Amino acid sequence: VRSTGSGISRRDFLKTGARIALGSVAGLALAGSSSAAAAGKSRVVLIRDREVLDGQDRIRPAALGEMLDGAVAALMDERDPASAWKRIVSPGDVVGIKTNVWHYLPTPEPLNAILRERLIGAGVKRENVSADDRGVLDNPVFRRSTALVNVRPMRTHHWAGLGSLIKNYIMFVPNPSSYHANACEPLGAIWNLPHVRGKTRLNILVMTTPLFHGTGPHHYSPRYVWPYCGLIVSQDPVAADATGARIIEAKRRVHFGEDRPIRPNPRHIVLAGSRYGLGRSRPEEIEIIRLGWNEDSLI
Amino acid sequence: VNRFRLIVLLSLTAGCLSLFPSRESCAQDLKSLAAAVPRLAAGLAAEGPDATYDRKTIFDYIDGGAEVYLAYDMRGCLSRRYAAPGEPAVVLDLFDMGTSADAFGVFTHDREGDPLDVGEDGLSGAGWIRFWKGRFFVSIYAERETAGAREASIRLARAIEAGIEEKGERPKILGRLPKEGLQRQSVRYLHSHILLDSHIRLSEENVLGLGPDTEVVLSSYVRKGIRARLLLVSYPDAARAAAARNRYLSLRPAGGDSKKGVASEEGKWSASAQAGRLLAVVLDAESGPLAEALLKEAETLP
Repeated sequence: VRSTGSGISRRDFLKTGARIALGSVAGLALAGSSSAAAAGKSRVVLIRDREVLDGQDRIRPAALGEMLDGAVAALMDERDPASAWKRIVSPGDVVGIKTNVWHYLPTPEPLNAILRERLIGAGVKRENVSADDRGVLDNPVFRRSTALVNVRPMRTHHWAGLGSLIKNYIMFVPNPSSYHANACEPLGAIWNLPHVRGKTRLNILVMTTPLFHGTGPHHYSPRYVWPYCGLIVSQDPVAADATGARIIEAKRRVHFGEDRPIRPNPRHIVLAGSRYGLGRSRPEEIEIIRLGWNEDSLI
Repeated sequence: VNRFRLIVLLSLTAGCLSLFPSRESCAQDLKSLAAAVPRLAAGLAAEGPDATYDRKTIFDYIDGGAEVYLAYDMRGCLSRRYAAPGEPAVVLDLFDMGTSADAFGVFTHDREGDPLDVGEDGLSGAGWIRFWKGRFFVSIYAERETAGAREASIRLARAIEAGIEEKGERPKILGRLPKEGLQRQSVRYLHSHILLDSHIRLSEENVLGLGPDTEVVLSSYVRKGIRARLLLVSYPDAARAAAARNRYLSLRPAGGDSKKGVASEEGKWSASAQAGRLLAVVLDAESGPLAEALLKEAETLP
């Protein structure tokens, strides 16, 4: 039995086929399903390319597209990225790309454009793809979506510890602040709501210029971002977030010259796995595939 | 004379009620404070109208940080953006925190920076100037650090400082902090478990039972090169203070309830004591005697 990119075996896939069919015409493996927890490890691809940024930390779209294709191919065990994308979505899918528009560090617009292009290239109808953040509950594509792609930059966060992939779904509820209790620990519950559950096909944690420390009224200072030039790609959002969190912790250690744990503790990541069954957070349960530039990878 | 006083009092009360609907009505409000701030400073001009936010809409403005302000019971925020060709934007945020204690508290959430002689406890660093005065917390943030942006920021800070009529007082619980060896820049004042977790890792759970009705002050000490941290919590009643200490002790190694405290595996000492509504916890002390001394000086031990 060969493991698929998500760490879900073919046997597991068949076992969970009925539930999968609810969210996917083609019956593709879904992150966040309990089938992920049944397999041994979650696969995470860390890809870096120092050429993805120009001298002023602006994205070079061509390099970013190559990174994304390389990561998706490795994730899905495919040589050809186009084949990998076709295993992530199918022509009948309606796909919402959940981005993040935070003013200081948004999901790069070139990445949203590349994702649209790849999804359409995999056969999804142009009118069935939409990227959105604050408007997902009213967006007609999201409202009839069969699949979601989750993409956001990683950053430290005053209240949740980290702005993570798990946290990025908070706009799928009309009352986000009701998920803020105890450092946002119930965030994983959002992923199990009927209009979200089982739809996520791909998680992309943008690590091109992550924020590793927050200061200022809006928790942002350009002093605390650095050109890591990476993407973390996985079908397991918990594994991707946990990997990103380790990099942020390591960067803080290097920058401050001492252990400076992320505060508050981003407990919502671990709890998304242990309490809500969305994936794995322990390093020994995560298979990291490293591609590209490896200098100062911090992990 | 008494009748005259009563008439005057009723007239004043009626005047306040009719002109201003909120309970802070008789005091200075954010808009009147903003009106006293120049719209042109060192070549930077205010862009557009001021934006105002309440406890619900603040999430639209501060994504990721709004809960911090709400944990200090923020009543409102007024934001104004200054710009000039070739200069970074300078963002002025005025926060009405309701009380001077919470204005001080939200100020202490982030104390990185160098002292700046403006307002109460003014700080400057990484393009960010902030201070508290009265019940207001003032933040002036330059999106990039330039000489022009700094000059504009300082001018704005001085104008706002002059425009705030009230001075305000620090929270009374600060008076319980022992003086000797207190690192003044380390003092944090807060109410929330999550905010405490931002500064020190005590427990995943809210073991101390913190909430809006508790006052917490966290501080660092250095005496003869020996370090320690002291946490004081004031509860509404002694029973809650005692229950919190019992929960805290249940998570500590055996012996933690002794007056002299207990040493951890890393050689750091912790100790706690409760007297009436006040709970004192010493953490990360580099010596047992220092832990005990801090508890005594906080008047939680005889």
